[in-house]
Amino acid sequence: MSVAPVIKLTDVGKRYERHDVLGGISLEVAAGSRLGLIGPAASGKSVILKLVAGLEQPDRGSVEVLGTEMVGKREVDLGAVRRRIGMLFQNYALFDFLTVERNVAFPLERRGGMTTDEIAAKVAERLRAVGLAGSEHKLTAELSGGMKKRVGIARATVADAELVIYDEPTAGLDPVTTQKIYDLLSADQIRTKATVIAVSSDVIALAGFVDEIAFLYQGKILYRGPAATIADAPDPIVRQFVRGELEGPLEDVRRDAS
Amino acid sequence: MIGDKWVAAVGAGGMKIAQEVGGIMILSGQVLRALFPPRIDRRELVKNLYKMGNRSVPIIVLTAFFAGALMVLQAGPFVKKFGATSLAGYGAGYAVLREIGPILIALMFSGRVGANNTAELATMTVTEQLDGLRALAIDPVAYLVVPRVLAMMVMLVALTALGDLVALAGAMVVARGMLDIDWMTMYHSFADTLKPFDFLLGIYKSIAFGAAIAMSSCYFGVAVRGGAVGVGKAVNAAVVAAAVSIMLLDFFLTYLVGG
Amino acid sequence: MIARLGTSVVGALRSARDLWLVLLSTLAGVIRRGGAQGELVRQMHAIGNKSVLFVVVTLGFIGMVMAYEACNQLSRITGDYSAVGSQFIRLIVSDFGPTLTGLMLATRVGAGIAAEIGSMKVTEQIDALRMSGVLPIDYLIVPRFIASLIMTLLLSVIGALVMFGAGGLTAEHSFGVNPSIFYDFTYVRPRHMILFMIKALSYGAAIPVVAGFCGLRARGSSEGVGWATTAAVIGSSFAVIVLDFVISAAALFLTGGDL
Repeated sequence: MSVAPVIKLTDVGKRYERHDVLGGISLEVAAGSRLGLIGPAASGKSVILKLVAGLEQPDRGSVEVLGTEMVGKREVDLGAVRRRIGMLFQNYALFDFLTVERNVAFPLERRGGMTTDEIAAKVAERLRAVGLAGSEHKLTAELSGGMKKRVGIARATVADAELVIYDEPTAGLDPVTTQKIYDLLSADQIRTKATVIAVSSDVIALAGFVDEIAFLYQGKILYRGPAATIADAPDPIVRQFVRGELEGPLEDVRRDAS
Repeated sequence: MIGDKWVAAVGAGGMKIAQEVGGIMILSGQVLRALFPPRIDRRELVKNLYKMGNRSVPIIVLTAFFAGALMVLQAGPFVKKFGATSLAGYGAGYAVLREIGPILIALMFSGRVGANNTAELATMTVTEQLDGLRALAIDPVAYLVVPRVLAMMVMLVALTALGDLVALAGAMVVARGMLDIDWMTMYHSFADTLKPFDFLLGIYKSIAFGAAIAMSSCYFGVAVRGGAVGVGKAVNAAVVAAAVSIMLLDFFLTYLVGG
Repeated sequence: MIARLGTSVVGALRSARDLWLVLLSTLAGVIRRGGAQGELVRQMHAIGNKSVLFVVVTLGFIGMVMAYEACNQLSRITGDYSAVGSQFIRLIVSDFGPTLTGLMLATRVGAGIAAEIGSMKVTEQIDALRMSGVLPIDYLIVPRFIASLIMTLLLSVIGALVMFGAGGLTAEHSFGVNPSIFYDFTYVRPRHMILFMIKALSYGAAIPVVAGFCGLRARGSSEGVGWATTAAVIGSSFAVIVLDFVISAAALFLTGGDL
């Protein structure tokens, strides 16, 4: 008997200003698995994440997350499914009018059902896990980029969500910190058995974290397969992108487009 | 002690205002220096004239129309009570040409063009484009600021003149529509009672307002700090400073000119 | 060119519809009281305390100018200043007090709200709020809406008094008008006070809705915030002017010109 996929996109299309960012995407992510999304800039990776979170609506197709159809729902009705999702935004999206502690506690407070002490304990545990114990009362303006990212991760994982979305979790970080972050995310996922979908431009590091990788190119999924063998994918465009080579079909197409 | 904190706050506020006024003075000095001898980039000047004028005509015209209409509405009760239809034009016209016209148009201009200009300059500063210019041995003040200051001053004068006419037209429309005063009565009322000086005073004011708006707008644009948040704060500060300056200048000019 | 005009009209209509939806959502939010409590106090402080000085200074100066102009005009015609004060306060209460305060607040508060919400939008904080199950309108706009209603009314009262007070000082100083004659409240009728309240509350409602709307529409980064702030200033100012016109015209119509 197969468990229903946590994420299921069926023939999803999205266009911005006459330009088809997504042209008929179908994607399934099984419960408890980790999927990585890669692709050239502006290929629609972040858009897919936003669709999964219900922050944007597709122009066609269906987006089913945790058994709920996201398309056509009003904001108010998405609250229930969003409580089961944790999200890390590309630019951290920390609330600059709240302290670190209040930022991480925010999802728990909005959910309700926990006492103040329980929330404080959970927040403290999360901050310790990301290595920011003692920074509870700082304001976001006082944090470095790496620290903000870690607060973002703490906030995304504080509610032990069933689905966690990471938009560029290691962008702009040095290789050592990148590895530390992925170790952290990995430990977290093993503990909560959550489903993870992550977008990253650092393909090598991402490949060490996720089970499978999907390659998004010009609005379509060109390839999906195990992360371990992505460098030897059958599609030449995928291979060129992953290996970071300058010569190849990728470059030609870009030249034509300009 | 509440007293202590309050005094400190007032002091801090005063320092900040002084700092900003000082900054604007310094920038003004730099702008003036760039004018004698004129080192103005022609293309930038024309580009800004076009942009600022073109963009703001619709909103200014609409505002002016309503301004004139409002003045007539305010005069309405008087007119009805005393049957002084011939004075409606005088009352509305005088207020429009000397006060309401220049002030409202300047405020709208500050919002439409001044704020936009601050946002543009602030974005350029935040994205280090000004530093980029300096690295190319181009003086940002002469290249960017001066054309904008000139363009804004010229445009505001032109728009005030245009706006005055539209406001008078708006007054005539409302007089006809709501007070049943016919066109010719209003026209004669304007023509007989309004002096050229009334119109010119409004224009002189608009020159001063234009300078104030332009300097405030440019200063806060280039003095911005922080990212996107800083840009918003810069625009906020610019329009507030412009509004205060407009009111202050209006007072001094009206007082000084008398008659 | 017709096509361009057409598309901009369609765009404007669509924006108007969206704006109307924001207003309805805000009102629904007020009834729901889904907003945060502490936020309300913080917003009242942000809108009220920080604008007092600004309103006092600007309305003080414009009050002086208007009194000056009025006396000037009278000195040309009749030389009889006995009615200046009473008519001045009547106009202040029924129109200039709330409207000028409204214009100043449209600039200051409108820009502030749009800048804050706009920078939250471009740094994805709005999306983050949504992911935590918060409705941005309830959390961000409703507290500002309520705070603005209260504060605009209060500030209009302060502004009106300052205007009247400053006007009297000018009349006395420049034209020797006796203060006891000038400060004459006998002509202010209940209908003027009702107009005052309707106008102040309307402006207080319009400014945060327009500014919040512009803030939520911000896109991109710094330029987006700049654009949002600019649009908010123009939009709120224009809304104040149009509301003033509509309310004044309606009042004139309903009372048959007896104001």
